[in-house]
Amino acid sequence: MSTIASDDELGQMISRIAMGDRAAFSSLYKTTSPKLFGVCLRILRQQAQAEDALQEIYVKIWRRAASFAAGKAAPMAWLVTIARNHCIDVIRARRPDPVDIDDAPAVADEKPDPEAAAVSAGEGRRIDMCLEELDTDRANAVVSAYVEGYSYQELAEEHGVPLNTMRTWLRRSLIKLKECLQR
Amino acid sequence: MSSDTTAMEPGRERDIALAGEYVLGVLPAAERSAAERRMATDGSFAAMVESWQSDLAVLDEHFAPENVPPAIAARIERRLFGDEVAQSAGLWGSLAFWRGLTLASVLVAAGLAVTISGIVAPTGDSAPVLIADLAGENAPIGLVAHFNSGNNTIHIVPAAMQDDGGHSLELWAVPGDGVPRSLGLVPPDGGLIAIDRSQADELGQGVTLAVSLEPSGGSPTGSPTGPVLVAGALQ
Repeated sequence: MSTIASDDELGQMISRIAMGDRAAFSSLYKTTSPKLFGVCLRILRQQAQAEDALQEIYVKIWRRAASFAAGKAAPMAWLVTIARNHCIDVIRARRPDPVDIDDAPAVADEKPDPEAAAVSAGEGRRIDMCLEELDTDRANAVVSAYVEGYSYQELAEEHGVPLNTMRTWLRRSLIKLKECLQR
Repeated sequence: MSSDTTAMEPGRERDIALAGEYVLGVLPAAERSAAERRMATDGSFAAMVESWQSDLAVLDEHFAPENVPPAIAARIERRLFGDEVAQSAGLWGSLAFWRGLTLASVLVAAGLAVTISGIVAPTGDSAPVLIADLAGENAPIGLVAHFNSGNNTIHIVPAAMQDDGGHSLELWAVPGDGVPRSLGLVPPDGGLIAIDRSQADELGQGVTLAVSLEPSGGSPTGSPTGPVLVAGALQ
């Protein structure tokens, strides 16, 4: 039982929620909860925790609706950000992963390829183009960190490298990615 | 940023990497909290975080929608609105009142004294709206259901029902074949119920809508299992 809503419709629902409109909240829940539950299940990987997280996320959405700036952020991206942030807070609290981030150098290891910048792409697909400029396993690390909520420790294990190496890789990858995105 | 600024200053690079790490979610809890504190006071860093969120949002397509257990919606509303709903419910919201009703099934509902009012569809709304006045013999007041075929929603007013933790109100359509179809749970504070297009296509003039009392989260069988409280035909 869900309906497909456009970004405009979602934005209007959030604006009405900011004014305390419960019917709008109910509509937003029906429209968006399957997607946000997908985020919870993907990152938390446990049904009961995902259900608890979904409740907390919609409580936050109700309370933070007034801070949503229509036109600045895409409504669905705003909602997914709240969901991801909550789930990541939960797993980081669950699995303490002590890493001193100051150990890692944050220096790009090579100059970006100027030819690649000439490839045109829609604004939304630009991240894909820039990820392709990274080595495949490094691009995969960025995507799996975002989608699976992996910690540095888990990424290091998955890629079979020491934790410090993983940290250096990812930070260099992020800097290269940003340089590409800003071109 | 212009195309010739491919190199970033080291301090800025470090911050951009940190903002990216925060958005990816890889930071340990303590560093994550530190980054959030910094966002609150350092506008430039906060802008870097927002920029990453916008850049990476395309990856949201990796999250496939999943079926949400129906009971969660009621739990959220109870948490947010529970006290207010309890204060405004009165007799209408008392579960003892609902339990006092003895009607047994949707088939019985067809025989209820149904009052049909002459409420006119709201003006200024071009989508066709059908209205059902839902009433029961022993119900002191009724529900009014507005079905909007333009956006496939049913708006119910008023529906103040204080859930005692064990029950939900479920809305049903009983089309020509007499087999009830669930349209979803009535939110504790009334409001909109969004229905599927296929369900909407079955609604029309003369179709009966009914509300039954069900276990929390709705009927476990797909058919009404509790007493029908109110019913009425779409006009």
